[in-house]
Amino acid sequence: MTLEDIIKETKTYYCLECGKCSSICPISRHNPSYSPRLMLEKALNGFEGDLINDQELFSCLSCYNCLLRCPADVDYPLFMQKVRALASAQGKYGVPAHSGTLQSLMRLMSNPAIEQRRLEWLSDEYRISEKADILFFVGCAPYFESVLDFKTGALDIAKDSLKILNALGIEPMVLADEKCCGHDLLWTGDVKTFRKLAEHNARIIKESGAKKIIFSCPEGYRTFKFDYPHYVDLDCELQHITEFLAENMGKGKLNFKEAKKKVTYQDPCRLGRHLGVYEQPRKLIEAIPGIELTEMEHIRDESICCGTSAWTNCDAYSKQIRTERLLEAKATGAEMLITACPKCQIHFKCAMVSKGEERGPDVEMDVMDIVNLVASALGDNGSE
Amino acid sequence: MNGFNLSRSICTRQLLQTKRRRKITEFEPRIIVFACNWCTYAAADIAGTSRIQYPHNVRIIRVMCSGMIDPIYVLRAFERGADGVIVAGCNYTDCHYIDGPVKCDVMFEKLGKCIHTLGLEDERLRRELISTSEGTIFAKVIKDMVNQLKKLGPSPFRKKVKS
Amino acid sequence: MAVNNSVLIIGGGIAGIQSAIDLANMGFQVCLVEKSPSIGGRMAQLDKTFPTNDCAMCILAPKMIEAGRHANIKLLTYSEVLAVDGEVGNFKVSIKKKARSVDEKKCTGCGVCVEKCPWKVNNEFDLNLGQRKAIYFAFPQTVPKLPVIDREHCAYFLKGKCRACEKFCEAGAIKYDQEDEIIEVEAKAIIVAAGFDLYDPTPLREYGYGRIQNVITAMEYERLSSASGPTAGELKRPSDGKIASDIAFIQCVGSRDVRSNRYCSSVCCMYGTKEAILAYEHQPGTKSTIFYIDLRAVGKRFQEYIQRAKDEYNVTYIRSRPGNIELNHHTQNPIIWYEDTTTGETKSLEVELVILCQALIPPRDIQEMASILSIELDEYGFVKTPDGLSHPVDTTRVGILACGCVHSPKDIPDSVVQASAAAARAAEILSGGT
Repeated sequence: MTLEDIIKETKTYYCLECGKCSSICPISRHNPSYSPRLMLEKALNGFEGDLINDQELFSCLSCYNCLLRCPADVDYPLFMQKVRALASAQGKYGVPAHSGTLQSLMRLMSNPAIEQRRLEWLSDEYRISEKADILFFVGCAPYFESVLDFKTGALDIAKDSLKILNALGIEPMVLADEKCCGHDLLWTGDVKTFRKLAEHNARIIKESGAKKIIFSCPEGYRTFKFDYPHYVDLDCELQHITEFLAENMGKGKLNFKEAKKKVTYQDPCRLGRHLGVYEQPRKLIEAIPGIELTEMEHIRDESICCGTSAWTNCDAYSKQIRTERLLEAKATGAEMLITACPKCQIHFKCAMVSKGEERGPDVEMDVMDIVNLVASALGDNGSE
Repeated sequence: MNGFNLSRSICTRQLLQTKRRRKITEFEPRIIVFACNWCTYAAADIAGTSRIQYPHNVRIIRVMCSGMIDPIYVLRAFERGADGVIVAGCNYTDCHYIDGPVKCDVMFEKLGKCIHTLGLEDERLRRELISTSEGTIFAKVIKDMVNQLKKLGPSPFRKKVKS
Repeated sequence: MAVNNSVLIIGGGIAGIQSAIDLANMGFQVCLVEKSPSIGGRMAQLDKTFPTNDCAMCILAPKMIEAGRHANIKLLTYSEVLAVDGEVGNFKVSIKKKARSVDEKKCTGCGVCVEKCPWKVNNEFDLNLGQRKAIYFAFPQTVPKLPVIDREHCAYFLKGKCRACEKFCEAGAIKYDQEDEIIEVEAKAIIVAAGFDLYDPTPLREYGYGRIQNVITAMEYERLSSASGPTAGELKRPSDGKIASDIAFIQCVGSRDVRSNRYCSSVCCMYGTKEAILAYEHQPGTKSTIFYIDLRAVGKRFQEYIQRAKDEYNVTYIRSRPGNIELNHHTQNPIIWYEDTTTGETKSLEVELVILCQALIPPRDIQEMASILSIELDEYGFVKTPDGLSHPVDTTRVGILACGCVHSPKDIPDSVVQASAAAARAAEILSGGT
């Protein structure tokens, strides 16, 4: 694909060059010289070399703030995704976080000859089925703990999701040779490896006969819903666990015991702006007796991103974005920040682990995923 | 990218040429050793000067301290087609930078879990503490690993080796 | 009561009035129907007009009076069209003349009733920024000079009490039992000059209209700066009544935007500049910043007007469409976040008052009107005039013409020109042409 093709496909020639995208972009807020509009302008004016060699091309968080505000219907995130693919094909990458460990891990995972041992955390207390209509997609959770040097809690999200599903009487399939959904590779331009992962996942899910896939990670959900259809053929119903629980908890099957806590909720970019799921997590939190949900200043489609996407170009500005969000959470007086995305959780926790005056004030805040909150509040029926 | 450009290393080319010359059909594992400058690399040197024989399947990469070894080096080694990787350095009391081996242990434990979850056999990744004078031990470790790997076969990642 | 008139004009704004006067002067009979209690339309709500900064009412009022006094023009104000039957040359129109509760033949327009009425109501003419009485004149210069009782807020009609207006009226013109009348009008041609409404910026949540007190719309600004408005012409901002001297205007609110309307609203660049100039005239030293994408200054002397704004009236133009307006909780000042597209830097600007230059949209009841008239509208709701080159004011129904802002957004001079065009076209039809 050439740059001209990308411009045509993403209709970026509609751009009015009004700058609305830059003024709402969370990165531009902290790094005033970062300008999505300028990148588009470079593309439209034929400065392909400038664009491809610019490391800031990989700074975009694909948070969708610009897409929701653009008056000219320009799909900037898609444009940027495709230009990254172009750059990557020419050997230009951004600055991968953690020296590229995550991307390397995903490439290794894409190899068809491996036999992973990714279900060793699945002890007898979690019940799964060999064959069921519902499949629970675990994603990269088993790997995060072994790559990052602080406790991410990602595996607890998978465990608690299963605990809640079991409490509802559901024993989903959990596939032993599932692979990374490929989200981070797609968004850093490695389309070839992404395709391998997508094709593998599509094949094993089809073979399993699953009819519905439940995700605890909005990135996986978004990738299956919006990106996979361009590469593979997979005909399953897709839901985030909060959507599923919001639908099913009313049927009287989930009992909660009281938990006295004041919490606030972070709308993840992927679950919120990308997928439009705003109400169900709130409904779920408010269903737990004793929980007081107080909202931050910027919520729903105005929610602030956690600051890093696709493990790339994570820098001082990322820390500033996260810190701003954590300060907002602290300002509500809540004891705990509830997220619905393992990545948000990891990035917020990282902000608190990496201290240092030059990157902004230090904030201490408890962070927990919504399924952790729900699982901890399960009453008697949860301990069967 | 962090620059260990193995696929263009002269050694790999030589190995391939050697294979072609000898028309070897038996599997020859490729082992990468990350050796700390002060201890393990010196040990390998001693092994060499003392004419202690050890298999040719090794490529030794000198780092200043085992504590600076990042998981990415090992993962990239496997990506590029290494069958086995050894992470080696000083003993705990010998480190020139005081606590390198401790840092390396912490990293290695996590890395080991990652490699394990990926499905690789535990034998493919080794941690060794080899001090300067232990040239014979270095040779033994290499021999050991080559034998193990010959039984295990090539790394599953070897099939698609690309940068 | 059927009246044999030749042309029916729907809408008593500047375009409707112009058409009416033109036709009347040519000798044709005109019936001018207006749904509000007075003719004058939106121009009566404006303070000054660009590019001359003439007082709007000073230009409008003479025309209103001429229309009111002309022998060939019959004014039906506070009236609505109910049905249109027939065809060109022979339209039969039913018009509902709503009850003012005031006897036209007796009322002298003295205004005592308004003075004595004790009941106050939000004034929609002032966009609810000020109040009027339950019996009221929409503005001081109404034509006809007859008050109207707002039956939904009058104590007599709600509870049977008060009757102050009746008590004080020396002409005995108050008629509580007045009823709506249905009037049948025959016309050979119809001109639709129903004008426009203004885009409500509430859905564009990033601008903070409704959330931040000191973010107001352009029409609200016009009323604030009007001498006849709720603050007698002082630019007092909503939160604390402070006179704003550091203000910002945001162009293209509700226009050139896929999320609201794709079209360009044509007049906003000019009226934004006008309002900035007026702010300086009311309070010398006022600093205005106008956020624009393109400056569309197409008419006569329009570009020079903009140059004057920059040179003499302390107006700064920034090429940018702001992404977000936030609030400084201590000062109640809006903070505008924007990217200066000439330098690529993202910046913020704190001002005392933000004015959103909202787009002109078709009247809110246009769908109903179009189905009564059996004419087609375009995808935005403006009246369709399919043959733009040969018959530029003809709608999709023969004999019905459209002019002014209901046709497409335009400024006052262009509305007047198009009104005269519609009048000429109507005259053509009435003189036996097609």
